[in-house]
Amino acid sequence: MNLVINGQTYQVAKDPPRVLLWVLRDELGLTGTKFGCGAGYCGACTVHLDGVAVRSCQVPVSRVAGRAVTTIEGLARGEELHPVQRAFLEAQTPQCGWCMSGQMMTATALIAANPRPSEEEIIAAMDGNYCRCGAYARIRRAVARAAALARAATEAV
Amino acid sequence: MSQPPARRWRVSRRGFLIGAGVVGGGLALGATLGLPWLRLALADVVDGAAPPTIVTTDPAFWFEIAADGRVRLAMPKVEMGQGIHTALAQIAAEELELAWEQIEVVPSSSAGPVADNFGTNASNSVASLFAPLRETAATMRELLRAEAADRLGVAPAALRVANGAFFVADDPERRLSYGELAADAARREVPAEPPVLKPSTAWTLIGASVPRVDLPAKIRGAATYGYDARAEGMLYGAVARPPSLGATLRRAAPGEAARRPGVVAVVAERDFAGVAAESRSAAAAAVRAMDLEWTEGPPLQQEQIDARVRAVPGRGVVIQRAGNAAAALRGPGVITAEYRTPMAAHAHLEPQAALVDVRPDRVLARVSTQYPLGTAQAIARALGRDARTVEVVPTYLGGGFGRRMVSEVAVEAARLSAAAGRPVHVGWSRAEEFHHGFVRPPTHHVLRAALGPDGRIVALEHSQASGGVIFPFIPAPLRALFGADFGAWRGACISYAVPHISVSAEHVPLPIATGAWRGLGLLANIFAIESFIDELAHIAGADPLAFRIAHTGDDEHGRRLRAVLTTVAERAGWGTPAPAGRARGVACSIDAGTVVAHIAEVSRKPEGGVRVHTVWAVVDPGLPINPDGVAAQTEGNICMGLSSVLFERLSVRNGRIAADNFGAYPLLTMRDAPAIEVTVLRSGDVPYGAGEPPMGPIGAAVANAVFALTGQRLRELPLTEV
Ligand code: FES
Ligand code: FES
Repeated sequence: MNLVINGQTYQVAKDPPRVLLWVLRDELGLTGTKFGCGAGYCGACTVHLDGVAVRSCQVPVSRVAGRAVTTIEGLARGEELHPVQRAFLEAQTPQCGWCMSGQMMTATALIAANPRPSEEEIIAAMDGNYCRCGAYARIRRAVARAAALARAATEAV
Repeated sequence: MSQPPARRWRVSRRGFLIGAGVVGGGLALGATLGLPWLRLALADVVDGAAPPTIVTTDPAFWFEIAADGRVRLAMPKVEMGQGIHTALAQIAAEELELAWEQIEVVPSSSAGPVADNFGTNASNSVASLFAPLRETAATMRELLRAEAADRLGVAPAALRVANGAFFVADDPERRLSYGELAADAARREVPAEPPVLKPSTAWTLIGASVPRVDLPAKIRGAATYGYDARAEGMLYGAVARPPSLGATLRRAAPGEAARRPGVVAVVAERDFAGVAAESRSAAAAAVRAMDLEWTEGPPLQQEQIDARVRAVPGRGVVIQRAGNAAAALRGPGVITAEYRTPMAAHAHLEPQAALVDVRPDRVLARVSTQYPLGTAQAIARALGRDARTVEVVPTYLGGGFGRRMVSEVAVEAARLSAAAGRPVHVGWSRAEEFHHGFVRPPTHHVLRAALGPDGRIVALEHSQASGGVIFPFIPAPLRALFGADFGAWRGACISYAVPHISVSAEHVPLPIATGAWRGLGLLANIFAIESFIDELAHIAGADPLAFRIAHTGDDEHGRRLRAVLTTVAERAGWGTPAPAGRARGVACSIDAGTVVAHIAEVSRKPEGGVRVHTVWAVVDPGLPINPDGVAAQTEGNICMGLSSVLFERLSVRNGRIAADNFGAYPLLTMRDAPAIEVTVLRSGDVPYGAGEPPMGPIGAAVANAVFALTGQRLRELPLTEV
């Protein structure tokens, strides 16, 4: 079975049935996608499936064949960070950092779908992503800033 | 997992160690930590050795300057989100006259008898390392200066230093970089006199909000945590778990496990059963196929635990006494209140994980642990090996919060690796995290006070009872020596100037494992004390903030407390009315030398429960090495604390912890996270801890605001009845 992850094609076994998260982490070595609960509660495992944020611990790998998967490793273009990453860095957002791949993937999908999210829309989109270190104030700020950076980037093109 | 380059250390007159064997020819300078007995232990090693005095074990921390000018600082402190590597780089770079980005901080391994004996905890890293780190860095600089002076043929005083190079003051073209000097400087003797340190007025890095050194990798998903550790030929392990609290293995046999696909090794021993396999799921499935029989634990219920945790005035060990509180609290008019806090989970978002490679002659482990040395010793004990042959290198930690002072997972991976002959990674599931290991203990507090006719507190008594925090992890003779669990009573003492004070603590052994949780007893004790102070202010008819200020002492603590209280009052507009439907509450604390005051502004949610809109926080950690880092830690403590204050309660039902994932134990999310306005004060030139102290007052600040809003006094966490 072929998986397309961050634009690159990987071959993985079709069996046994398993979820995308562990295929990414244990079979393909893409450990940027994190595990927090395995049950859809925490959002640490968030990746994009055809541009939509999904919880990879809940996605059977068979459902992903032939579709575009983006993980945190695919967010930057080489050295150039994605506006979301720039904003998260600028606000010095991560503490331990374990939740942050999921936070940034959720934020990226939000901004792609809604370039001008209101504060309420940011909260609604980000509310399912736990941060045990409690960096929420900075995450909120970083997402708003990321939206502004992303708009500036598209307008510049 | 590659072996670190071997270094050999020669001991200098000042107890510093100079290392040789740095790859490519460089200079390494290290030191043991300031405890005399560590230095003595080292001196023993050295005296026993044949001259020249060479030791092969690494010191507690060291600098290396490679020939290409790279500077590495190897530290025993782990990075779990508190920004410790950045703060240490700042301190070191200040004396070394480098840009902070030029220093790479790496965790030192556990190997060696003078490794860190304490782990990373209790907000003590910066405080304990500040002086030794500066002195070592300055010594290194002076060694390089002496070498540069000789080579350039000028007096040391004629040299200036900037950006990792010495140059002649009136001829800047004549310069030598640290890299060029390193190899030869390594042959010099450390000056007998301690170097002159930069005065605080000349600091440019200490006290600056430089960006965190670990964030670029974390932003890219490229930082390696314990769960991410990988090695050639590795396997995955899974371990059989007792079905209830207190259950143990009665009988363990491999059963069908060995015949399952992908299984490499099955371990069925008296106290341990597990499988190493080619994948996590194969290992987990095989464990289910093992033939295991468990004893039954007692059918424990939460009520049985709570009933044991009951503070009784006069029964605990007295830990603070002034005047004669017992006498002052006799007679009518004594005010009494009781407070309770529940058990809580650490819920660090990265479940504990380790990759361990057991080889015939040595063991290499990469673990997300707060305590590499303790982890190495535990592995050595389990395998019956010499601890010096076990090397634990800490990874980044996805949260620690005290839970990772013990890393059971590393022992499990070691046992499986020993059986399989290959590296084994074990990573716990969320259910394993909830059900095994230890939790924050429940606490109970009885507060009693007497007010004078002028409305001032005459006598104040705090009697607290708590399950163990440190006691479960130390031997009985030490427990007897201490009497009360100093982790449980952290924050229990009274910081106000009151003539008669009595504080006592009672250690309650419980049928469930309890231990350290961020701030140890701090959140619970300050919740009780600062709620009660608020009650007294109300009874005295005083403004809660003015009442607190009126009870601060004349000493340094009193002065600093007044400063944080007045500042937080200004920032929050205390004394101006809160917006309609909202009210404010205040609380403060002193912990680990750091003084904190919070004001919380709350309302009632339409659907019931407390909404915290804003928290104003003022923190005085003495000298903030990195003020933005202190602010981030404050924000984090407030959110983690609020999660506990508003929502979290772990309970036991029918011999099991009821929650097995976040569905039954939800954490605070962004919607309930308040706006947080942090002010960081600097009150001196000595840094205190920042990783936990801001946790202290958050519970009481919110409970006091709820009282101001509703007149309801909530004396139990979480604050659910509103
Ligand atoms: S690991 Fe997927 S939601 Fe928590
Ligand atoms: S930064 Fe640690 S969980 Fe979010």
